[in-house]
Amino acid sequence: MPKKAFITGITGQDGSYLAELLLAKGYEVHGLVRRVSTFNRWRIDHLGPEAAGGAALHLHYGDMAEGSALARLLARIQPDEVYHLAAQSHVRVSFDMPEYTTDIVATGTVRLLEALREVGLRPRFYQAASSEMFGQARETPQRETTPFHPRSPYACAKVHAYWITVNYREAYGLFACNGILFNHESPRRGENFVTRKISRAVARIAAGRQQKLELGNLEARRDWGYAREYVEAMWRMLQQPEPDDYVIATGETHSVREFLEVAFAHAGLDWREHVVVDPRHYRPSEVDVLVGDASKARQRLGWSPRVRFAELARLMVDADRAWLADPAAPEPVPAG
Amino acid sequence: MPRAFITGLAGQDGSYLAELLLEHGYEVHGTVRPGTDLAASRLAPLGARLGRGPGRLTVHPLDLNQPEGLRALLPGVRPDEVYHLAAPSHVGQSFEQPEAACAAIGLGALRVLEAVRRLSPPPRLFLASSSEIFGRPTRAPQDEDTPLAPVTPYGCAMAFATHLGRAWRITYGLFVCCGILYNHESPRRGENFVTRKITRAAAAIKLGLQDTLELGNLDARRDWGDARDYVRAMWLALRADSPGDYVVATGQTHSVREVLAVAFGHLGLDWQRHVRTDPRLLRPAEPHTLVGNAARARQVLGWAPTRAFADVIREMTEADLAALRRQTGVTRADAVHPG
Repeated sequence: MPKKAFITGITGQDGSYLAELLLAKGYEVHGLVRRVSTFNRWRIDHLGPEAAGGAALHLHYGDMAEGSALARLLARIQPDEVYHLAAQSHVRVSFDMPEYTTDIVATGTVRLLEALREVGLRPRFYQAASSEMFGQARETPQRETTPFHPRSPYACAKVHAYWITVNYREAYGLFACNGILFNHESPRRGENFVTRKISRAVARIAAGRQQKLELGNLEARRDWGYAREYVEAMWRMLQQPEPDDYVIATGETHSVREFLEVAFAHAGLDWREHVVVDPRHYRPSEVDVLVGDASKARQRLGWSPRVRFAELARLMVDADRAWLADPAAPEPVPAG
Repeated sequence: MPRAFITGLAGQDGSYLAELLLEHGYEVHGTVRPGTDLAASRLAPLGARLGRGPGRLTVHPLDLNQPEGLRALLPGVRPDEVYHLAAPSHVGQSFEQPEAACAAIGLGALRVLEAVRRLSPPPRLFLASSSEIFGRPTRAPQDEDTPLAPVTPYGCAMAFATHLGRAWRITYGLFVCCGILYNHESPRRGENFVTRKITRAAAAIKLGLQDTLELGNLDARRDWGDARDYVRAMWLALRADSPGDYVVATGQTHSVREVLAVAFGHLGLDWQRHVRTDPRLLRPAEPHTLVGNAARARQVLGWAPTRAFADVIREMTEADLAALRRQTGVTRADAVHPG
């Protein structure tokens, strides 16, 4: 019997990479998809049953806003592992839609945990926490013991999801893990995130289809890793003898300006000729420098990042240039 | 005179706060759950103060789970101060209804913050938080800088509300104060809280209406203060020059066993003859010792608790005895089990 995994947020960047990883490991993968009027499955279109080498991908309609439907679904699937990745994950948007963000991220996580409890299932549970929880961090780098000082509705909601997950682990003995993931990017990153916004713009500018790129704070610094590697850490957390929480990060920070330099230069362009700073893109409240210390993940999970900042930026530009020329082109993967 | 708006007006804290503000000449508005019978509520003593204007109280029945309710109501009231006290306040129940706790407390605070932000000028806002946000504290006593580590769904939701309050203060420059309130009791305490459960049972046993009392962990210790002292801290917080968070606590802990000794002892009863412990009443995860350091409230607000633990418990016991006598017509002389 193959192991069964249930992924919320399977159509997202992380969900699609995780589904790929689990299918390759022979899992039967079940994913939760929202019923929306625009089709949003481009990231998992290539994961049909035949593409997965016999292992199967099953998609189910559902929503983090509805707990009873989640319970019915889980009762039917009986998963061995649950990866909870669904979220309204855009920080800037969370200031404009705080109620929706709160409902999906904070209450949604409770709904999922309660659905498991209601059905009497005890799968291993992964909750996607975020470095945004550290916000105005009081120590650098941030590790698992660093206190949270969230600064955005998204981050406040994620802190709630984090603690409620710890609560179910301690109160009910659920094998539940929080992965505190620092920023992680890829060619599949949503187009409204700054790295992808840049890589897409580079491709379009290089092709002569666009002239200018509007951005917010160029000095914002982040610890950016490669999403494909980060989902591997999620899986490893659930294979440990004991549940725990882990920081997943590269330990390096770079500014938006540095990303611009690498990405534009990779296409032979000078970013200064194309970038316009627009304060409308600033967040109402910016976080301080976030950089993670993933020592615990390195020691316990044997996990460490391989693709570094510059390679990641170039990889994203390559992908966007390839897709601009041919939307069906395969996604570039890192060399080595 | 200033105008205040209180959510959770008919609760223990809401009713005391309304009294305090009315004494100071405020025009007070507040929300109660639709269908609340005012005459049977904690607001009954304020019946003569109902009306509009300085020193008067206006009650607005409103379901705070409705997203648009506050947003529609507040612009008409135009308060100078808002006190958000409404919340399902029982920690144990939050294990049975964690989703409701998250929605009512977290989303509830968010809606208040958003409604307040949209008023011009925005009123000052007090958010009632709880010592449960510290759950498993790394140090004792806890203060405003102690990292949050909630271990109950209620504590998680309160931590969420507290984080939102802080984020809104920094992001939008609102005058938001989070009061990190340790347990606070009074004769108006809800009957499902352990202190009130004990004082009521002691009174009922005294009157021969009951023989035994079932409780969970008798060694659980809490920092118990008096609700009237705590609502004064809320009011003082909004009168300070700048917004901040305040731990409101006595700095001393007592055990459930001590509550029993004071309450039963006050009526001449031996609690050990009546109390049984029931493991089913233990919480799935019990917080470690929570004891607050209210130094900031003392220094910045000039606040200090005025009523001692044992006095509050005795007052509650007396009040429960009087209420039970009124309800049942049983007098001490009629009691069948006088000790």
